[in-house]
Amino acid sequence: MFFPILGRVLISADFWQASLQFAALLLLPALGGLLSERSGVINLAMEGLMLIGAYVGVMMAIATHSVWLGVLGAVIAGGLLALVHAIVSINFMANQTVSGIAINLAALGLTNFLLPIQTQGQGIRALDDALRLPQLHWGPLANIPFIGPVLFQQNIIFYVAIIILVGIQFLLFRTNIGLRIRAVGEHPHAADTAGVNVRLVRYACVVSSGLLSGLAGAFLSLGIAGIFNQNMTAGQGYIALAAVIFGKYTPVGAAAACLVFGLGEALSPRLQDTGISANLLGTLPYLLTLVALVGLVGRTTAPAADGVPYEPASE
Amino acid sequence: MASPTVQRRTSAPASQLARWMQKFRAALGRPLIAVLVAFVLGGIIIMITTPGPLDNRFITAVSTYYYLIAGSFGSLQSISYTLAKATPLIFAGLAVAIAYRAGLFNIGAAGQLTVGSMVAGIIGIQLAALPGWLLVPLMLLGSMVAGGIWGGIVGVLKAWRGAHEVVTSIMLNWTAFYVCAFLVEGPFQAPKLSQQTLPMAPQATIPSLAILYNQTLGTFLPQIPDPAQYTVDAGLLIAFVAMLVYWFITARTTFGYELRVIGQNPKAARYAGISVRKNIVMVMFMAGAFAGLAGAVRLMGQAPYQLISSAFSTDSTGFDAIGVALLGRTTSIGVLLASLLFGGLQQAGPYLQSYVDVPGDIITIMQALVLFSIAIEYLPSLQRFMPSFLVKSSRPPLVPSLITTKPAEEKGEADMQAVESGHRATSDTVEKTGLKPTSSGQEE
Repeated sequence: MFFPILGRVLISADFWQASLQFAALLLLPALGGLLSERSGVINLAMEGLMLIGAYVGVMMAIATHSVWLGVLGAVIAGGLLALVHAIVSINFMANQTVSGIAINLAALGLTNFLLPIQTQGQGIRALDDALRLPQLHWGPLANIPFIGPVLFQQNIIFYVAIIILVGIQFLLFRTNIGLRIRAVGEHPHAADTAGVNVRLVRYACVVSSGLLSGLAGAFLSLGIAGIFNQNMTAGQGYIALAAVIFGKYTPVGAAAACLVFGLGEALSPRLQDTGISANLLGTLPYLLTLVALVGLVGRTTAPAADGVPYEPASE
Repeated sequence: MASPTVQRRTSAPASQLARWMQKFRAALGRPLIAVLVAFVLGGIIIMITTPGPLDNRFITAVSTYYYLIAGSFGSLQSISYTLAKATPLIFAGLAVAIAYRAGLFNIGAAGQLTVGSMVAGIIGIQLAALPGWLLVPLMLLGSMVAGGIWGGIVGVLKAWRGAHEVVTSIMLNWTAFYVCAFLVEGPFQAPKLSQQTLPMAPQATIPSLAILYNQTLGTFLPQIPDPAQYTVDAGLLIAFVAMLVYWFITARTTFGYELRVIGQNPKAARYAGISVRKNIVMVMFMAGAFAGLAGAVRLMGQAPYQLISSAFSTDSTGFDAIGVALLGRTTSIGVLLASLLFGGLQQAGPYLQSYVDVPGDIITIMQALVLFSIAIEYLPSLQRFMPSFLVKSSRPPLVPSLITTKPAEEKGEADMQAVESGHRATSDTVEKTGLKPTSSGQEE
């Protein structure tokens, strides 16, 4: 009974489309976190950055009647909140883990606090289609059986995420800027000696993580859900963090990890008919990650200066 | 590091008092500043978001704090509610704190707490026929073992596979939420209800503190009138015992000392012959046991005395515990005070909407601001911008660093000598100078 249903799910286009959509949602904050960690700033804040992005995205879209301004607002909001993390951890040399947790708590508090104030206690109604991020339809390509719906009928942000993935992979390993980012994360003093502005690089990376997470938030609220609910990110920012480490701090690795989570998340609701509890199926992606972390991936090494505030030797 | 030992030689009562004052300031000064800054910022946020002219906004902000204080500590009854909210936070705070001593970030208290409450609940349901004096300890023990195993898994994976504890704990958190939700909605489901278990039998619960007092001490001391209105349960007493145990482990045992060495410099710990792996597993087991107790005590001590599947993943205790542990500087008294603060906020917050028309979630923002304030450590940050002659001495940082492993190469030798010069002596200096040597290391 179980395997026929599993088989049917695995060959259905709907399942793969949902998996890729979840994966793209996780990929954006994961890439942001990856940039931040690569530059030597621990970033646990993606959860909060996504949440604030989701909230501001919806609010801006409703206020301006434009989904694109909503996305812009979400990206900027994420960037601004990440700027707080950057100032606190780079200039004030705060404990970055604590600051990340504080950002998450602050985002949760702010969105829950502002939602009743801005909506006069009404909450937000589901958005009209015009205010939602469009699903693209790639003409004839979208009509190919199976491949069409999976690859060519996704939300626009899905394609943006793919482009950003390729871009960051290229940036990190094929350009001067990427070399600098990695140098700052591994050995900031050496990078400083070589003329790299350590703090500037770190600022740029942390703020980028906010921009990307904010975009993911907009994808969640304006694209996938079409509504804002309290605490709607529900731990996905933490999963993205796990994907960063699981993927050994490389963009492609993180993308693979996101795909695993995406598959797991799409699989569990579709196996309801097998009679296995949805709750048990829900553990699948997490257990898979644990097993993979223990058995396959082995030791992951963070960048050497990850979490160490940089103090120039002269101070 | 040497200054405290010099001061100790002076024995006049006046300097004794001065030393106490200094100790007091060092221990409480920064947390108090952190809380104060957070409250001021919280007030500003209220003033920004409230409608009306500036005067009204100011009055709203002030009355918000009035109702926060009145709602949490204003009457005996509200104090008892606050204490009831604080009790699980104390346990969970200790769970985060003890791991933090060893440099481990226990973000998994939420999952350990869930598993602990689940196992306590299962024991309470399955063995409901047992008498209370046997059943209650069994449930507490079960929750400790279950939470301990859940935490111990993180420790084993960290020690032997190098798996990052933050990632494994997050995975185990969600696994715990889902598995326990499955158990509640499946094998242990209450008849005719979908999402909860049966309530615990009366002998499987922890009695209210006021009722317990009336039955014991109250028989020859004055009775508490109308004890049912005071909800705090005897779990608070268990929390005090846990605090004592925590203090003893961290301050008076070799294990506690080894934890601090590992937290500050695992490399030096290894050279000194400390088994880092064994200690990591043990400390994570203990952390899990504390967190498990938090779950059990809340299940057994407070209404509705039953497990609800949807509450597992939305319960914030495990995450609030991080703030509690950091604000409390990972000491048992500190954890108690921080729990009272957070518990008080959580008790009074929901009433703000009806009294001053401020959404109760302002308290979440305040908790976040408190955390920020702790993380930033204004004083040393300000000191950095001051001319060097104004900066007399560097006090221990508020938050022990998680990142001390990184500069280990440079500091290894100095710490090695410190370790070799004898456990007892170093443990004293470590205690005096706080938890983290990096700041002194950076200045050298």
